[in-house]
Amino acid sequence: MNGGSSGAVAIAAPRKSGIDVLQRMTRKILPYAGSVILGLLLWQFAASFLPGVVFASPARVFEHLVGAFASGELPIRFAHSVQHMILGMLLALLVGIPVGMIMGRSETAFHMLNPVVTAIFSIPSVAFVPFLIIWFGIFFEARVALVFVMAVFDIIITVTAGARNIEPRIIQAAKSFGASRRLTFTRVLLPASLPFLMTALRIGAIRSVNGMITAELFFAAVNLGEYMEDASAAFDSAAMLSVVFCLALFGLLIQELIKYAETRLLPWHVRD
Amino acid sequence: MTRSHILFLNVSGIAVSLVLWEIAGRIVGPSLLAAPSVVIGTFLDLLFQGDMLRELFGSLRQMLVGFGLACIIGMPLGALMGRIRLVDALFHPWVSMVVVTSVAALAPLFILIFGTGFEFRVAIVFVASFGYIVLTAFHGARGIDPKIVDVARSFAVGPFESYRQVILPALFPYLITGARLGLIHAIRAMVMAEMFVLVGYGGLIFQSGQELSTAPLISYLVSLMAVSILANSVLGWTGRRLAPWYDSKMSR
Repeated sequence: MNGGSSGAVAIAAPRKSGIDVLQRMTRKILPYAGSVILGLLLWQFAASFLPGVVFASPARVFEHLVGAFASGELPIRFAHSVQHMILGMLLALLVGIPVGMIMGRSETAFHMLNPVVTAIFSIPSVAFVPFLIIWFGIFFEARVALVFVMAVFDIIITVTAGARNIEPRIIQAAKSFGASRRLTFTRVLLPASLPFLMTALRIGAIRSVNGMITAELFFAAVNLGEYMEDASAAFDSAAMLSVVFCLALFGLLIQELIKYAETRLLPWHVRD
Repeated sequence: MTRSHILFLNVSGIAVSLVLWEIAGRIVGPSLLAAPSVVIGTFLDLLFQGDMLRELFGSLRQMLVGFGLACIIGMPLGALMGRIRLVDALFHPWVSMVVVTSVAALAPLFILIFGTGFEFRVAIVFVASFGYIVLTAFHGARGIDPKIVDVARSFAVGPFESYRQVILPALFPYLITGARLGLIHAIRAMVMAEMFVLVGYGGLIFQSGQELSTAPLISYLVSLMAVSILANSVLGWTGRRLAPWYDSKMSR
């Protein structure tokens, strides 16, 4: 810090990063903002041609959002909805990750289970709703079960694919150096698995948000589902779009958060 | 592992699952879970009665309209997004938005806009499959090795020819993969939309939940599964047939 040369570096560094920030602004954030603004303008334009009950303009959706957030109604409903989503997702991870890891690391398990998993996965999860009604009723348990069903197969498939693609050489290297089974697992297999486990978490989370609202619309209409049904009965498209908007934002937010965690926790893993 | 060994494991895996299902079905009874031995009779009855297949193909026809539209618009859009930065900047945020939005949440809104008929189902299927088709085409187009594009340029191949001879073949595996992914979501959305307004095959599924036995419900699910697997393998086969390099690109 005291030497002349390092001082020059110290002066040069902030200037360089300043340019970086500016470049990132113009490269990433400006087009993003431009796209969002352009889209909103287009939406406003399209909405002016359609009757307001059918398709609300962004201005009216915004107005509704401000009102619903100020009264606390939407946030409270959201908080209630998130409960069954989190529980269902945790259960799905709890089942999906071990099953996926076993299928990914054992050829025998893979070839035995893969046809069954593929078969069940190819049935749309919503089609299980009548079953879930028979088994779990139409309240909390059924909602958790639907979130679970919607997320678990995506998680199994992602984890299986990831675990199968772990570079065999790194395990062979560990073996050559005489690493025990446990050491190989904790020091080699687990770090190599973290990237696709994060991917599974991301995909599972998005499927869970999807399951959360699907459950509330197909079982007893509560929380956000009730909000949408009420809005639909009142032909209030602004309220419906508000919920859709919040859900999309919620999904994007979770996705970006997990991506951010990924870059912080797994700096060695380069994403494309 | 040899082919026959793999086949043996596949078959034994399915057999074990069927036995477990049979045992579970016998214990809880057909009102909770019909065993395979019960389902097969019901399935054949429904198959020969004809209602099941008629409704299924009726629904699939409507689905194909939405899915086809999503392919026609989504594939070129995704390819352009991958090649031209401005197009990407304009569309990417909205495409990501469409992908994370659950189509179920859109159903009540779309009913308000389109009613509960044909347009509603087409619109739901379109929205559900569109984002996946665009994003897969986008990743394919962006991942095209610049070297092969440069080679075409060095040999003074015009933009149209280089598109036809270089970009499209490199893109093709991704378009097929996007279509397979989109199709899965299209079928999901079709069933969801129909269950919501109680029409078509989805309506059939939802209403069969009120019957005393779960055998019809399971039969409907089995047909849906068969169609879904069949459609997926037809697309995969088409990919391999039209572009022999499909597997080498997509095997991992």
